[in-house]
Amino acid sequence: MTSSLTPVEDIIKSRVSSAFSPTSLEIFNDSHLHSHHKAMQGSTSKETHFRVMITSEAFKGKPQPARHRMVYALLQDEMSRDGGIHALQLRTRTPEEEQKQLERERGA
Amino acid sequence: MSTVTEVTTIDAFNQHRSSLPASTLLVLNFHTPWAAPCAQMATVLATLASSFPATSPPTVSFLSINAEELPDISEDFDVTAVPFLVLLRDGNVLETVSGSDASKVRDAIERHAGAGADGAGKTQLPPLQQVTPRAAAEPAPTTNGATKDLSGYAPTANDPATAPAMTDPAQSSKEELFARLTELVKAAPVMLFMKGSPSAPQCGFSRQLVGLLRENSVRYGFFNILADDDVRQGLKEFADWPTFPQLWVGGELVGGLDIVKEEFANDPDFLKDYSVKASA
Repeated sequence: MTSSLTPVEDIIKSRVSSAFSPTSLEIFNDSHLHSHHKAMQGSTSKETHFRVMITSEAFKGKPQPARHRMVYALLQDEMSRDGGIHALQLRTRTPEEEQKQLERERGA
Repeated sequence: MSTVTEVTTIDAFNQHRSSLPASTLLVLNFHTPWAAPCAQMATVLATLASSFPATSPPTVSFLSINAEELPDISEDFDVTAVPFLVLLRDGNVLETVSGSDASKVRDAIERHAGAGADGAGKTQLPPLQQVTPRAAAEPAPTTNGATKDLSGYAPTANDPATAPAMTDPAQSSKEELFARLTELVKAAPVMLFMKGSPSAPQCGFSRQLVGLLRENSVRYGFFNILADDDVRQGLKEFADWPTFPQLWVGGELVGGLDIVKEEFANDPDFLKDYSVKASA
């Protein structure tokens, strides 16, 4: 049985998927961009900085901070453990908002 | 943005005073290094100072004076307890603030800073927030026995409730930390809790957020969470938000870099109320 080389990313993917049934989910591992930073000295993890873009109806009617908190809650243990997630950039949109934004970009 | 300057000699003090125009508001912070509330006042003052653009000549000048090392100056201003704030203009004492209540300090300074001679180009300040002191009863000040007797500085019934005043730091409960944080997030209408300082950010996201605020000419106060681990860990719990930087507006959390970016992109009026109007 092979074990994953990206356990943290897998956790993010599976938890976000089951919690939000997203219509769109993208996870980017930006850890390599920050590995030389002082805060990362002594860290052996290759999964410390992530950018996660989620589109889901579950965010409807909620202000941005509330949406981010929903995601933080899902990943709380991964964020608080030593060597876990150090930074998490989030984009949390509803399908409607994603659509509007695409139209705006096309029109611009 | 302005900073607080430590004055160490009487000469330096007099020299600084005479170099300022009569219209400058001079804020004197009398402190002693061993009193805990003084550390709090220093933080509040540094944060406040950072929200005033540094002009030349300065419209507001912040000075910090060690009350024990410069007793003559302390006597001149009748300083009997620390921390003690004196607001001066043109040699006249406008107001004094005793204790480290952040809202009171900010209120006093902004009230007088706004009355500067130069009315044109002054920033519009948002309405003062009503701050109600925490309902929790202040514990009776205990004489520390160990090193110094601070009972002379204990708050009387007339003083407003302040954040951790007399307790030994080791006994500071979470409740007191949260009381302190409640004040801190209101130290300025727009507060940025970041890693490092705007002139020397210690993290890419903090640097980007500083840049974003500058681009939009937002006037804000900042707090370097790398310099205070209590605040760093406490604020995560207080805000129910695990990351920094954090932008707070009007005492409420707005979010981190990504949220602020989106707000600016989607809302042309975001933080317009807090912008520094361009002065010629």
